[in-house]
Amino acid sequence: MKLAEKITSIVVMSIITAASVVSVINMAVNDNNKITLKNIANGEAADILSENIAADFFFGNELRSAAAQIGAKAGEPLVNGVYITEDRLLSIDEHSLSEGVNCANAVNAFAKDYEGAVYFTAVPTSAGIYGDKLPSYLISVTEKQISEEILQNLDVKIRPIDAYTILKNLSENYIYYRSDTKWTSYGAYCVYRTVAQKLGFIPVSYDKYAIRHVSDNYCGNLYSRTGYMESRSDIIDIYEYDDGTEIVSCKGTDSQGVVQDISLYDMEALKSDNPYDLYLGKDMEFIEIETTVNNEKSLLVIGDETADCLIPFLTKHYSKIDIVSADCFNGGSVEHINKADYEQTLFILGMEHISENFNS
Amino acid sequence: MTYSSLLFIYLFFPVSLLLYTVTPNKLKDWILYGESLIFCCFMGFRPAVFIIIYCLVNYLAGLSIYHIPPKYKSIPLAVGILFDVIMLISFRSSYFAYLHSFTGIAQNIFPVGISIFTLSAIGYLADIYRGNSKCDKNFIRFSLYLMMFPRLIMGTIVSYDTFVYTLRNRRYNISEIGSGLLGFTKGLAKKLLIADSLYSLNSAVRNTPIDELSAAGAWLGIIAYILCLYFTLSGFSDMSCGLCRCFGMKFPNSFNYPLFTKKIRVFVSGWHIQLVHWFRKYITAPFSANFENPYVNKLIFVCVWTITGMWYGFSSGAAFWGMLLGIAVVIENKLNNQKRIRPSGIIYTMMTITLITVFLAQGSISRGFKYIGIMFGGNGNLADSAAAHMLKYNIVIILLAIYASTDLFRNTISRVKESRFKGILAVLTPIVSAVLLIICTALMSFSGQSESMIMML
Repeated sequence: MKLAEKITSIVVMSIITAASVVSVINMAVNDNNKITLKNIANGEAADILSENIAADFFFGNELRSAAAQIGAKAGEPLVNGVYITEDRLLSIDEHSLSEGVNCANAVNAFAKDYEGAVYFTAVPTSAGIYGDKLPSYLISVTEKQISEEILQNLDVKIRPIDAYTILKNLSENYIYYRSDTKWTSYGAYCVYRTVAQKLGFIPVSYDKYAIRHVSDNYCGNLYSRTGYMESRSDIIDIYEYDDGTEIVSCKGTDSQGVVQDISLYDMEALKSDNPYDLYLGKDMEFIEIETTVNNEKSLLVIGDETADCLIPFLTKHYSKIDIVSADCFNGGSVEHINKADYEQTLFILGMEHISENFNS
Repeated sequence: MTYSSLLFIYLFFPVSLLLYTVTPNKLKDWILYGESLIFCCFMGFRPAVFIIIYCLVNYLAGLSIYHIPPKYKSIPLAVGILFDVIMLISFRSSYFAYLHSFTGIAQNIFPVGISIFTLSAIGYLADIYRGNSKCDKNFIRFSLYLMMFPRLIMGTIVSYDTFVYTLRNRRYNISEIGSGLLGFTKGLAKKLLIADSLYSLNSAVRNTPIDELSAAGAWLGIIAYILCLYFTLSGFSDMSCGLCRCFGMKFPNSFNYPLFTKKIRVFVSGWHIQLVHWFRKYITAPFSANFENPYVNKLIFVCVWTITGMWYGFSSGAAFWGMLLGIAVVIENKLNNQKRIRPSGIIYTMMTITLITVFLAQGSISRGFKYIGIMFGGNGNLADSAAAHMLKYNIVIILLAIYASTDLFRNTISRVKESRFKGILAVLTPIVSAVLLIICTALMSFSGQSESMIMML
């Protein structure tokens, strides 16, 4: 057995050494989260380094993909918190009903001293709509329950829009990406129809849009989490309607306070690591959109990444739309704007955002 | 940082081993101490400082016990043990919450390995007090006994003399490193391939509201818990022993295939061997020595097992688990001695262990009894689609875990070693080790580590 041990030592140490060297070089080359003295002091350094190594690991993508294939075939098809069903990937996230209460309380605080009309919609993830494909024991609190909790706890002056019911009734359609948690342009359009009516407009009918497929190989955030090769890639659409109105200006302010020109559709994003940035570009804290619509109406939207897909539909109805990132929303006050300047405010919050930000 | 993380396997371990290798022999203890300090620093500065203080307190207590007059020896012994026990209880329970804020460690986190090094420290002080061991003036060597990183997480509990003997007789060569890596990959595979899969199954059952659980689901849940507990503990134990061997130190394994045995006392003797030995040596034996009455000794035996249960978890359920295990061994011995009934058989042992372990899994006595009721149809639901779904997706891993928890594979290898095919092992062993390492790496490549822990020790 001495020979076996010697060979094992050489083989295993060779694998470890090769993987270590390549991973360290990758980490040095890539711009990952940096380790600071503060990180080390509070014990977060190990987690950050582990994530960095995982991200830049020697043949990391191939290893993740292989692990996903093995995981999906060998046992419960649950890989890195993502459930693999026959036709789509679904995220398994833990929720609690308090998320709904806390979210409603924050929106109520905003509406308390606000004279305009407040509209609220919570957009479920794909797991919220297709949750019946998941084993019951994986989900303790459903997104439907949280959605109901929010609606029950919202102040009477806030006008709720039940996106869950709208989308659930249309679940047979292509309203959610198969490889992502977010809705498609069509999903957003279906909710837009109700939103426009509530805001006091006649929604643009479906047949007036020219639908352009800008990508047919979109692999969303759930694919990134699993690397599951057998999941079908998705189609990204743009809905265009030429009614004569145009975008006059579209300016975004990032977290550093830098203002830059952006566009409703950032085609360059399709070549990036996050093609979903197609809608309104990279994350901005504040976006101002001015259009040629001549009605002097302005709308304040407070939303997360989920809202980006719905905004283009609303530009046909307002001369000005200001969008504040949900990250800048903290109950009563909102950074970047004076809320008294707006007659209407629309909250569009995704369940992922609600779960991450209102869980305590 | 745990052993089952990419950071440890592909950065910390190879760099540590390389530094250790190139360091002259007389400085190897120093480099190992420095590496262990860095390992502790990955928990944060304040936990690392806490461990240094912990070592210092026990070191000074040891010196005091050894050097002061005999009639005062019990004072530093009591102070040292009290300090150790309070630290253990404070980090393993919600008591002494202010200590968490003092050390800057969150309520649910504690210095990894505290359950192990507390017992080592108490054993060291007790041995010096009894005169079985001399105190060590070398602080670095003493600190290594408590916080040496290859032994820190679920390492083997040995006496200080055994540790020093092993340290002084290090056998450091490529063959030993190979043996160590074999043990490490075996432990890693136990943790990642088996324990983590079973953890998911157990979590699925725990997520089901207890009133909606079917009998089949309850059985699946508890079987997954027992197997997961065994493979987590023995996996980390194997990893620790393997790492120690890579650094030239050979310590015994803590588990000897206890699950599928024919008697409960065989299960007990093969389960966490050094831990059980520690409780026998430092608690059962001193108390029993003062009593000749066999019934009192049996009572002490049961009480010590109750304390052993509390070592696994500070809950009424864990204490009850230990107590029932002790009572089961006493009853089994009694029946055997009377030669009326000879309880034996894998099914008898496994059924008893399964029912007893429900209390450890549930954490409270009342929930334990309720769960046992559900296992026998108390919810009026013998099986449902959720249980069928769980069984369908986990049957392979359960069968694999059952096979791996028996000694069948080890016996097969032993037979091959003695046969004319033994040469094939020289080829297969490195291949299997490499494949297991790559698969485990793939499983860790999502988040960089295995995060599912059934028990924090």
